[in-house]
Amino acid sequence: MEVLLVLCVGALTAASVYLMLARSVLRFLFGLVLLSNAANLVILAAGRLTTVNPPLIPEGASAPAAAVANPLPQALILTAIVIGFGLFAFALTLVLRAQGALGTLDSDDMTLAEGRPVPTTEDGR
Amino acid sequence: MSPASTTGAPADEARRPSPLAEAAAAWLPVALAAGLFAWFAALLPAVSGGAVLRPTLEWVPSLGIRASLLIDGLSLTFALLITGIGALVLLYSRTYLAGHPHYPRFALFLTAFMLSMLGLVLADDLVLLFVFWELTTITSYLLIGFDHAAAKSRRSALQALLLTGAGGLAFLAGVIIIGTATGTYSLAEILGAEVPLREHPWYLAILILVLAGAFTKSAQFPFHFWLPNAMAAPTPVSAYLHSATMVKAGVYLLARLHPTLGGTEVWFWTLTVAGGFTAVLASLLSVRQTDLKLSLAYTTVMALGTLTLLLGQQGAYAMTAFATFLVAHSLYKASLFLVVGCIDHETGTREAEILGGLARAMPVTALAAALAGLSMAGFPPLLGFIGKELAYAAAVEYSARPYLVGGALLGANVLMVVVAGIVALRPFWRPAPAPLPRTPHEAPWTMLAGPVLLALGGLAFGIFPGLLQGAVVNPTVLGFVGPDTTPAILRLWAGFNAAFVLSLVTFAVGIALYLVHVRLRGLIAAAEARLPDFDTGWDRLMEGLLRFAIWQAQAIQTGRLRTYIAATFGVVAAALAFALLMRGRWPEPAALGAVGWLQLAPVALILAGSAVAALTASRIAALAGLGATGIGVAIVFILWGAPDVAITQLLVETLTVVLMAVAMLRLPHLAADRRPGHGLLALATGTAVGGALLMVLGTPMDRRLSDFFEAASYPDAHGRNIVNVILVDFRALDTFGEIVVVAVAALSALALLRAARTSSGRRAP
Amino acid sequence: MEVDLDVLRPEIYLALYAMGALMVGVFGGKDRLTIPLIWVTAIVLALMAWWVGVRESAGLAFGGLFVDDAFARFAKVAILGAAAVVLLLSQDYLERSRLLRFEYPILIAFCTLGMMVMVSAGDLIVLYMGLELQALSAYVLTAIRRDSVRSTEAGLKFFVLGALASGLLLYGASLTYGYAGTTLFSGIVEATADGVSLGLLFGLVFLIAGLAFKISAAPFHMWTPDVYEGAPTPITAYLATASKVAAVVLLARLVHDAFGLNVADWQQIVAFLSVASMLLGSVAAIGQRDIKRLMAYSSISHMGFALMGLAAGTAFGIQAMLVYMAIYVAMSLGTFAFVLSMERGGRPVTDIGALNLYARREPLRALAMLVLLFSLAGVPPMLGFFAKFAVLSAAYQGGLLWLALIGVVASVISAFFYLRLVYFMYFGQEGEGLDSRMAPVPWAVLMVSAVAMIAGVINLFGIEPLAAAAAATLVQ
Repeated sequence: MEVLLVLCVGALTAASVYLMLARSVLRFLFGLVLLSNAANLVILAAGRLTTVNPPLIPEGASAPAAAVANPLPQALILTAIVIGFGLFAFALTLVLRAQGALGTLDSDDMTLAEGRPVPTTEDGR
Repeated sequence: MSPASTTGAPADEARRPSPLAEAAAAWLPVALAAGLFAWFAALLPAVSGGAVLRPTLEWVPSLGIRASLLIDGLSLTFALLITGIGALVLLYSRTYLAGHPHYPRFALFLTAFMLSMLGLVLADDLVLLFVFWELTTITSYLLIGFDHAAAKSRRSALQALLLTGAGGLAFLAGVIIIGTATGTYSLAEILGAEVPLREHPWYLAILILVLAGAFTKSAQFPFHFWLPNAMAAPTPVSAYLHSATMVKAGVYLLARLHPTLGGTEVWFWTLTVAGGFTAVLASLLSVRQTDLKLSLAYTTVMALGTLTLLLGQQGAYAMTAFATFLVAHSLYKASLFLVVGCIDHETGTREAEILGGLARAMPVTALAAALAGLSMAGFPPLLGFIGKELAYAAAVEYSARPYLVGGALLGANVLMVVVAGIVALRPFWRPAPAPLPRTPHEAPWTMLAGPVLLALGGLAFGIFPGLLQGAVVNPTVLGFVGPDTTPAILRLWAGFNAAFVLSLVTFAVGIALYLVHVRLRGLIAAAEARLPDFDTGWDRLMEGLLRFAIWQAQAIQTGRLRTYIAATFGVVAAALAFALLMRGRWPEPAALGAVGWLQLAPVALILAGSAVAALTASRIAALAGLGATGIGVAIVFILWGAPDVAITQLLVETLTVVLMAVAMLRLPHLAADRRPGHGLLALATGTAVGGALLMVLGTPMDRRLSDFFEAASYPDAHGRNIVNVILVDFRALDTFGEIVVVAVAALSALALLRAARTSSGRRAP
Repeated sequence: MEVDLDVLRPEIYLALYAMGALMVGVFGGKDRLTIPLIWVTAIVLALMAWWVGVRESAGLAFGGLFVDDAFARFAKVAILGAAAVVLLLSQDYLERSRLLRFEYPILIAFCTLGMMVMVSAGDLIVLYMGLELQALSAYVLTAIRRDSVRSTEAGLKFFVLGALASGLLLYGASLTYGYAGTTLFSGIVEATADGVSLGLLFGLVFLIAGLAFKISAAPFHMWTPDVYEGAPTPITAYLATASKVAAVVLLARLVHDAFGLNVADWQQIVAFLSVASMLLGSVAAIGQRDIKRLMAYSSISHMGFALMGLAAGTAFGIQAMLVYMAIYVAMSLGTFAFVLSMERGGRPVTDIGALNLYARREPLRALAMLVLLFSLAGVPPMLGFFAKFAVLSAAYQGGLLWLALIGVVASVISAFFYLRLVYFMYFGQEGEGLDSRMAPVPWAVLMVSAVAMIAGVINLFGIEPLAAAAAATLVQ
């Protein structure tokens, strides 16, 4: 299974990098969502995949009966998911604001740069 | 601090300082300088008796910096020159710049310079010395640029600042190495160390850095060009900073470190060649000038070259020659500069070809000029003669390379005779060739005191060399060669020896050349035109630097987000590759678990979803892809024992997609794009990330912490869901933080939306 | 738990204050309350700085997730102080650009809270959390300027690159966790007792890359000029001071607390960042005409110098770095106070050509700027020189002579553009000047900062034994 998970992480990362390099900031946002998914899977895998048993302690016992999944990464992932969502929600507002203020989501049309004013037609690409 | 504004125009009468302030600015600095001179003179008996005074104050102890002073023969000689000439120059400039609206500022700068220069020569701590070193650079900058209405003086000021400032920083690097190598920044301790620096493994680095500082400050070839440009400063400044004191700081440094850095082949060759070449080149260029002040500027470079040359040698004779020449030069050169200032002030010109017949109108000035000029030319019975004799003797009888050293000295001294004739004698004694811009008459006494006293000093010490020998030369020589040497004796008549013969040759050739100096000037000018011009080179360097900076900034800072992102990925990838190369081995491949059919479903979902999201041009399809990926990830969580995480993931994923769908309504459509290059970069990054993860999985897990949580969860925190216990108990901080982050995200979104609303609201009528 | 909470008291109080202020803002008078809120928040931050500086604390909380040692306290005092000054500087600016919004001081408070968590983080996830808290507030503060296209664009760029950096950081944290089995720094240092494996080194590379972005160390600096230019000027000042302290200190804590047994593994990376930042920042600043961009490159170059102290890998290096950062913050605040006052006809001007012959019109301010610029350039005897001297010595003593020499070269280059500004002010040509208006608070900040650059020469205000004590708690 590990190899499949590695494949997933690789694919998610590749897709998110590809999206992040796009001209449209909206695509960057898609990439960000995929990237946080990839990061969560990495944390899961880093805690090793051992068993399907969730880390619960049965009634009447004071420790898990059998081997359980590693609880620490799960806690970390929960933290990461929540923070990631906060980040995403904010990003979405920012993109909306950008669309409103700049009238474009194409990052190549943005003007803060060295040696302004640089006409956008001149740079060829 | 500094009063009024910075204009050179006298228009702003309103800002003129009050008469009281003017008087204070005029006399206080003079009194200060004279008082300091008296105080240092009072130290003479003790110091010439061999005492070394070292007052000390802890300053920045953890950096090892102390505010300590070192007063021995060498530093006291410099201190006396600085304060003595300082008093005279301050007195002089009060009249020279009389009525200048910014005279108080000028006096302030000049006094600040004097104190910095004093600090430089008296400092025992090398860092302290460096601090004063840079202070002299700054005050010099302000003084050169004082008359900044002229573009030329602004440029010169900046050039001097950058060049000497850069050299100073190199010197600082040297200081740090010396400090670490010897464990102290104290000069006295460094000089007293058992192992001299020349035996330290970093000797060459130290030497190069120190020389970079000294050569830029003292205008040695190839950094000689800034000094003549600095003549844009008012003449008293040139007399004081750029001849008598500041430019000697480099020489002072070399003299100071001579006992511990000197005596090697590198030292000898570098100083001898640089000094000798500078001396000869500068004296040639000096003859070539028709502006008296510029001519003197080049002779200063020549003198600095000679001093450097002498410091390249070893032994008491050369050091005695050094000390004597140092004093002699300071006296006659400051005097001559002030004389030229008087001429300029009285006649309105300093062109050698216009001036003439001044002796009748300005007899006192003429006398001072003659005495100083003869000292410069090295005629007896002036101090210049003794200095020259000693230098010749040191070269011919004691140097390892008599022909090289003697030749350089001879060439330079011959030309000094010529320049002395042009600057000090010709304007006064030849008949006036043309009417002058102004009818000359004698300058006021305040302007005469300096040149006359300094010139008379040269005469007095020439006739009674014993005065100088006991008070200044002996302590100086002992100060840096060590107490067990005998300084050479200063005397006017040392017998008919090689040095005397050389002197005779010098006079003969010098006088002969003086007679044809106008033709000589043409020859030198023609030769100079063929040589590379360092000054233009400097301008080109500056322009090039500016152009390179702009180019570099534009090349890197394109403003294009994608470039930045790609660069970030590229750098990280390069760093990883570098780490891999450094370690030089590949990780062990992981032992992989079996694959079940059930597990393939979420994987397929994730792969397909991310591919669609990446490649589609349809926003709806992309959203669907994102959603599918999220569900796939959630299933993976369920499969590996993380149901809580899976539920949260599903919830957040749904919210994400919904929010995005709503936002889409207000966002533009996507354009189709196919970017194979980016695709490659993306695949490479994905592979690298996956590979790194594979390596992680190949190593055994350290589960101690997790075991602890499993064991402690119920007994300590009474929780059966270990994940929850971790979150609310063991890692409660995370949870607290999460809440704050979400709150801030909400607040941020609110702030943005409000901004958007108000801005669109404002636009609507 | 009580002990844990006691350690966290400043952070908790600040969070409570910020949330309370938020409530007041939302349900109270909205933007009418902004000016009082600014003053109250500034006072709270300043008091907090004083309190953090003097208080005793147990040191560790939550089993090491949170560390409150002398090192963290040193940084917190600098951060809180800078934040308070920035708030005071903002008031006039906000009023004049009609930006009086109650979120502003609250966001600064949250952002500062994030920084305090960052410098006290003893765990990778706490680090990530503090960083995100700080970053989120910083993004929005950057974009807050209304009807300014530039500000929005700057915020967007900042966010995009910042999110990328966070991603790198999180990935590095996961890798590190996978190897060490823990995200606690104290656990990582145990796990690396017999060397850093290749995989862990990869994790470290990702972590440092993520943090280098926050420090704006080259080659992760590229957001800096664009964001500095577009952000409201007080926010630029904030990013250039408080946020830099937090990021540099965080990096120092990470490499020493978690990887302190393997200095050689990160020393090269940090030294590389240092060299790249110093040279790139200094050279790129030369051609700048926009003073905010110029200050961006200047801060990049200064971060290179601060990292030089870190690269030394010694306690003395950390001490030098702290001294450097403290002095850097003090002189930057003064400089930005001046930049804030650069207006013509009531509109902000950032072209340095506007400084032409400034000294003729405003001799006192020009003199203060001269002192600050000399100090930024590291010219003795201003305080900035001692900062440079400290890091150069540290680098050499740490066996990095080459780094110290490159530092000297970079100093020479950077002197060029600082002195060019002095040149404009004193010897420039006639041209359109600046308004002579300057609000009292920026004026005071400018003057205090300039005087400090000279007066501090006497004993560096005693910060250097404090920095030594702070460094001693980090490097054992």
